[in-house]
Amino acid sequence: MRFIRTKAIIATAGLALSLAACGDAGDDGGNATEVDVQENAADAFDDGTAMKDFADSGKITIGVKFDQPGIGFKGAADDMPKGFDPEIGKILAASLGIAPEDITWKETISDNREPFLQEGEVDLVIASYSITDERRQVVGQAGPYYVTGQQLLVGTDSDIASLDDVKGKEVCSVTGSTSLENIKAEGAKPRGFDTYSECVDQVLSGTVDAMTTDGAILLGYAAEHPDDLKVVVDPFSEERYGVGYSKDKPEMCQWIVDTIKKAEDDGDWDAAFEATLGQSGVDTPEPPAMDECPAA
Amino acid sequence: MDAVFSNFDDYLKAFGLTIGLFVVAGIASLVWGTILAVLRVGPISILNKAAALYVTLFRNTPLLMIFIFMAIAMPVLGYNFKFVEDVEIGGYNVSAFFFRSCIALTLYTSAFVCEAMRSGVNAVPLGQAEAGRAIGLTFAQSMQLVVLPQAARAIIPPMTSVLIALIKNTSVAAAFGMAEAVATMKALTNNNADQRTGIFLAFAVGYIIIVEVVALASYAVERKVRVAR
Amino acid sequence: MTAQESTPVSAGRGEPLVVLSGVQKHFGQLHALKDIELSVARGEVVVVIGPSGSGKSTLCRAINRLETIDEGTITLDGQPLPQEGKALAALRAEVGMVFQSFNLFAHKTILENVTLGPIKVRGMKKEEAEKQARELLDRVGVGHQAEKYPAQLSGGQQQRVAIARALAMEPKVMLFDEPTSALDPEMIKEVLDVMVDLAQQGMTMVVVTHEMGFARTAADRVVFMADGAIIEENTPEEFFTNPTSDRAKDFLGKILKH
Repeated sequence: MRFIRTKAIIATAGLALSLAACGDAGDDGGNATEVDVQENAADAFDDGTAMKDFADSGKITIGVKFDQPGIGFKGAADDMPKGFDPEIGKILAASLGIAPEDITWKETISDNREPFLQEGEVDLVIASYSITDERRQVVGQAGPYYVTGQQLLVGTDSDIASLDDVKGKEVCSVTGSTSLENIKAEGAKPRGFDTYSECVDQVLSGTVDAMTTDGAILLGYAAEHPDDLKVVVDPFSEERYGVGYSKDKPEMCQWIVDTIKKAEDDGDWDAAFEATLGQSGVDTPEPPAMDECPAA
Repeated sequence: MDAVFSNFDDYLKAFGLTIGLFVVAGIASLVWGTILAVLRVGPISILNKAAALYVTLFRNTPLLMIFIFMAIAMPVLGYNFKFVEDVEIGGYNVSAFFFRSCIALTLYTSAFVCEAMRSGVNAVPLGQAEAGRAIGLTFAQSMQLVVLPQAARAIIPPMTSVLIALIKNTSVAAAFGMAEAVATMKALTNNNADQRTGIFLAFAVGYIIIVEVVALASYAVERKVRVAR
Repeated sequence: MTAQESTPVSAGRGEPLVVLSGVQKHFGQLHALKDIELSVARGEVVVVIGPSGSGKSTLCRAINRLETIDEGTITLDGQPLPQEGKALAALRAEVGMVFQSFNLFAHKTILENVTLGPIKVRGMKKEEAEKQARELLDRVGVGHQAEKYPAQLSGGQQQRVAIARALAMEPKVMLFDEPTSALDPEMIKEVLDVMVDLAQQGMTMVVVTHEMGFARTAADRVVFMADGAIIEENTPEEFFTNPTSDRAKDFLGKILKH
């Protein structure tokens, strides 16, 4: 794929109007987000900062989820992960003068996000990574760049309509996830699975009564099975997704916040949302207010 | 470690479930595995072959795949074993998840139990079984009265390994709806990213204690069987 | 009972008890039993001799179906041998077997070895079975060893226990498969004495052995086998002094030289 260096056009979530023009057998159309890759980006950063190093080397490694449709998902046949999180990654990389195809994507799962940052396995984690005080003890988390909340996915004929209805019911999510802990606190029987897709299968086969996780993910599945599944109850938790970085490089926080703020102002954030999570039919929300970076 | 102590109730429940899976699947595997071993060494050719086929099939299939089959494929095919939830034992209901996990563990472990039994039976000289049959014992009697008691000593070390593997294999159920030790460990580390090492150590110690109890019990039984000879 | 009539030498002490007719057995390529015709009368003592590999042990083991046969029939007291199952177990209870390697149950005491069959197969009460077992152990001269385990006894003692174990089932016929071959020379006599004693009391016996002395003193008939076939059978005196076949002459020449 040959692109003009200054203007990279990225295909996201199997949407490649412009890729089709390049001779790529395109997917089923849709939106494409365009990111301005900064020229001479290295000049913008002070010597000795992590950003300067990335810009000079032209390389960055970003950890994302590979198994959350809409947020971070990579099918077996895909070259690149798709979803809102990778889009945010592309926006951040572009500000360093790094084109999307030069980003190294690495799958992070809930268990390895902190170790990966601490050991320098990845430079950034953008993986539905809720900001918590405990996590901020060991890694840096800038943001939030997106706020979502936990909801329930049930069969269309289910009589679960409110959060009270889950008491004593079997509700699945990913093993060890915060969502599962939350629903346990509501009196449900938690059923952990390895992946969201296995969990959805359990709901479809009637083996569990409901699935729970962040609403955005549930909407994606409901859209896949509109006749069988529906999302119910108002969000009953607040998950503030942040960008994880190593505590050894505190200067990254302000850069992340500034870059995302700029994307919010110039419409890149909206475009990224519409191309990914927005596909399930939800309105594009207002971007959340971001936390102050800790004093260096 | 604080996270473990402040959630000690969950910690104990998690290992309680691990032990529950181990005990139920262990007993079922011993029973079914012994039956398979008897079929394998027994006089009926078609049953020999059927038992050998079973062992080949389940010993060579990763446990994870058996779990996926039991927990995900079977419900899709319409067999979710929900009926076990209507059965009440001592005031407790067995969940279909627990039941399916035990079946998956038993299908897998019984193949290894069968082979451990068979190696023990093979360690008993053929003449012992012949002498048993020669005084008019039926095949089942000669297995029960002559061969298996003598095979016990040779069976115990490999059987102990099989059971210890089973203890650790119960952790696969973490990904299939069981909040046993590994699932609970994941939940705790997810919520307490700063205490990762301590939580890990606490759960490792839990497993070590269970495995050591089983190992010590097996030494005790082995010593007893040795005295009896 | 044509087999009986066609047998040239018959002790004629009673009606036929064990009858083998047209028995064939193969181990892969090896033709282990060739067209065996043999009838053993009630109370008769038949000694089977022959070079190693001649099929004599196979013959002995076929009589209680520890070896299956490919063709032919074997009857015991007029009943054909059943297939596997309870009926076969019941038949084996009627046939005592003594093995070359004793095969006492290693995990049971001498007394338990002898009482196991009567209790589990005959349904005898434990006290009764133990009383009978002690009498039998006294009879074979190991009564004072009853509480020991097999490994604590000498080979000769173990083999005498094995005989007592078989007798405890009150068998119709006793099979001895080279009972002294695994014994040190000084222990052979104590076992043979028990066997001679048994023969004199009228037990029907089929004995595979290399002990020519036993054959001379106790046998009613000697059967000589080679290459899976019965070559010759006769009274001991006739057979040892006047063998008719070349194979038998050759065999006797080799074993009687020393």
